[in-house]
Amino acid sequence: MVSEDVLKTHLQELRRGTVVVASLVALRRPDYGYALLQRLTDHGFPVDANTLYPLLRRLEDQGLLTSEWNTEESRPRKFYRTSDEGESMLERLLGDLAAVQTSITGLIQGVDR
Amino acid sequence: MNTLTDRYLAATLRSVPTPRREEIASELRASIEDMIEDRAGSGQDATVAEREVLTELGNPDLLAARYADRRLQLIGPTYYLVWLRLLKLLLSLVPAIVGTVVAVVDVADGKGFGAIGSGIGVAIQVALQIAFWLTLTFALIERFKPISGLPDWTVDQLPDVPAHRNISLVDTIASVVMLVATIGYLPLQHFQSWVHEPDGGNIPILDPTLWSFWLPALIVVLLATAVFEIVKYRIGHWSWRLFGVKAVLSLAFSLPLIWLALSDRLLNPALGDRLSWLAEGDNRNTLGAVIAVGTAVILVWDLIDTTTKTRRQVAGA
Repeated sequence: MVSEDVLKTHLQELRRGTVVVASLVALRRPDYGYALLQRLTDHGFPVDANTLYPLLRRLEDQGLLTSEWNTEESRPRKFYRTSDEGESMLERLLGDLAAVQTSITGLIQGVDR
Repeated sequence: MNTLTDRYLAATLRSVPTPRREEIASELRASIEDMIEDRAGSGQDATVAEREVLTELGNPDLLAARYADRRLQLIGPTYYLVWLRLLKLLLSLVPAIVGTVVAVVDVADGKGFGAIGSGIGVAIQVALQIAFWLTLTFALIERFKPISGLPDWTVDQLPDVPAHRNISLVDTIASVVMLVATIGYLPLQHFQSWVHEPDGGNIPILDPTLWSFWLPALIVVLLATAVFEIVKYRIGHWSWRLFGVKAVLSLAFSLPLIWLALSDRLLNPALGDRLSWLAEGDNRNTLGAVIAVGTAVILVWDLIDTTTKTRRQVAGA
């Protein structure tokens, strides 16, 4: 029986990079922090609020997201959207993710490349 | 306004760089309110919801560190190994050298055995200083100045495989220290035994007439044993030849001691004048017998122990 703690650590490691990919995909449609968090959770990417909010700022600093304040609703909210730069980065990342999946499948089937 | 949310925001923003503070504050406040509103919408009490949301966001210092992309470690993996190697290198050399120099200078000043204490004290202080300043330096490098051109590890740095040792360095050092301490005690007890004559003069524990031959002879045997321990460590394992030398040395020390103790020539006769119980009845002979038997027991036990080790290691070689 594998220890729950060990399993949790490995799952965390496995999931770590996918939050960035998921956010860049999800923000092709502009959204604000908490709404994005809920969308990601609904689509099977549970992410902690204290991870996601700082991550959005970092992606913005890296030029992968652009942001805009929306003051029309009940409270002012900062909406993020995937930039052109973010889009080209996302294509590379998705390509790599697919490559990982292919490699794993190949490995499982014992097929030489 | 001094709600929990206000306090949480203040605590988080305290350690976020100033230029971004305003914007992060507005965004984080909106996010927190969104989260509370969502929970309250499903029928939860607003105060409870606020507590839960802030608990979920966690320690504000941790959140601030994530916003500022700050490292939560003193020395990270980039520098840790370099730090560790330097620390070991410096600690293994510098404190001992400085401590020895201080002790030698104190001895030259005529401070006698107190010099050992001041030497050890200085060595400990030097070790603490080295550890502190080295760690501080690396902690600062970790934060501000990425060093380029750290030497890469190469296979040439691999140390030789340690020779197969059955004799540990710690045991060898302990033996040599014990032997040197014993050698040091022999002259020490002659001048400073803590047994005094009525006029304050010192009464040696051992009979001073032994200095004409037996004590120098025992010191020579002890010195030879210390040399033997070091040679044994260099060789690295017991052999029957080493066992023979060891047996001769043990006998050369123990037999004279037993003989002197049994024939009542070991202890200073003057001791009886000051320690009255020693003068009573057979006490003096009993003490001599105890010393003789104790020495014999240690001798036999040591020889058996050494025989076992030698047999095992010769068989295993």
